[in-house]
Amino acid sequence: MTAEAGDPPAHPVTGLDDVVHQRVRLGILTIAHEARRVEFGYLRTQLQLTAGNLSQHLGVLETAGLVEVEKGYEGKRGRTWITLTAAGDTALAAEIGRLKQVIARVETTDTEENR
Amino acid sequence: MTTESVSAGDDPRRLLSDVRALARRVRLDQRVTAVALLALAAVSLLALPVDWLFLNADCGRATVESGAACHIRGFSRGFYWLPALLLAYSGIAVYAARAARARGLGARVLPYVLTGVALAVLSAAAWVWAYFYLDPPPAEPFADWVMVLDRLVGPAGTIGLALLVLAWLERHVALLAYTLVYLVLVLVPPAETFRLPPGLLGVHTYFLLPHLISGVALLLGGLGFALARRWRR
Repeated sequence: MTAEAGDPPAHPVTGLDDVVHQRVRLGILTIAHEARRVEFGYLRTQLQLTAGNLSQHLGVLETAGLVEVEKGYEGKRGRTWITLTAAGDTALAAEIGRLKQVIARVETTDTEENR
Repeated sequence: MTTESVSAGDDPRRLLSDVRALARRVRLDQRVTAVALLALAAVSLLALPVDWLFLNADCGRATVESGAACHIRGFSRGFYWLPALLLAYSGIAVYAARAARARGLGARVLPYVLTGVALAVLSAAAWVWAYFYLDPPPAEPFADWVMVLDRLVGPAGTIGLALLVLAWLERHVALLAYTLVYLVLVLVPPAETFRLPPGLLGVHTYFLLPHLISGVALLLGGLGFALARRWRR
């Protein structure tokens, strides 16, 4: 459906990306963005998830091309590192921008209703 | 939208608040403030005996009353400060990378280390320039702004400027406040603020007092941030 001239602008909520707009996945992207590179164990601790649950979310983000997962060893211990891709960086910035727009829209509506 | 993505936890305000809290948590875990300050304090305090030995002060007949200038030449900036600062910044970079890796994170100090190295090189280059182009030195004392600029490109000044970058990278308001106070101490030495005559302290002590103050300030800052971090945990 395309917007016609005179139509009100689309509500920002329509632009939210299902892959990114999910609490855990948004958390993963945020931590990876701040950390540059983050280890699986750190994500699991901060987000308080089971290994299986975190792996599922990482799988969704990796399939969407938003993160890169690199498996390796340090001594005998296996370690998994997660890095944000350029697409992930853009998606995170866009999501945060849209969340701010949604909040601004809700606050504007509340103010108008209270008048 | 999936049912999963419209749960109560997906309220935009709460999501944004969670995002900010997570970002703050990561930045806290990546901080290397105390180690950076303690490494630079060590370099600054070790410089005191070196500065003392290689400071050449020629006051001739200058007195406070005459207003004439002493000709001061510190040779340590070229052969002590540059390698010592390069070593300190390399050490900070290695420590930050290892500590962050051990916590499961990447390090974010690279821009700070590069700024510190660039400023250390600039400071040494300014010293070399002054060594060759201000010989013989002018008879009249330098203008105040020249002295402030000299202190800013001196080793203690460059340490402060680089710390501003670290405060920005770590989004560390306390470090920013500390650095601004440190820069004031470096740029406005107490010996001049209180107009202590060189005769009271001796020429060497008079000119090394600011270095001592900056070294002690870095040491106290490092200990303070280390204690604050320990207390927070």
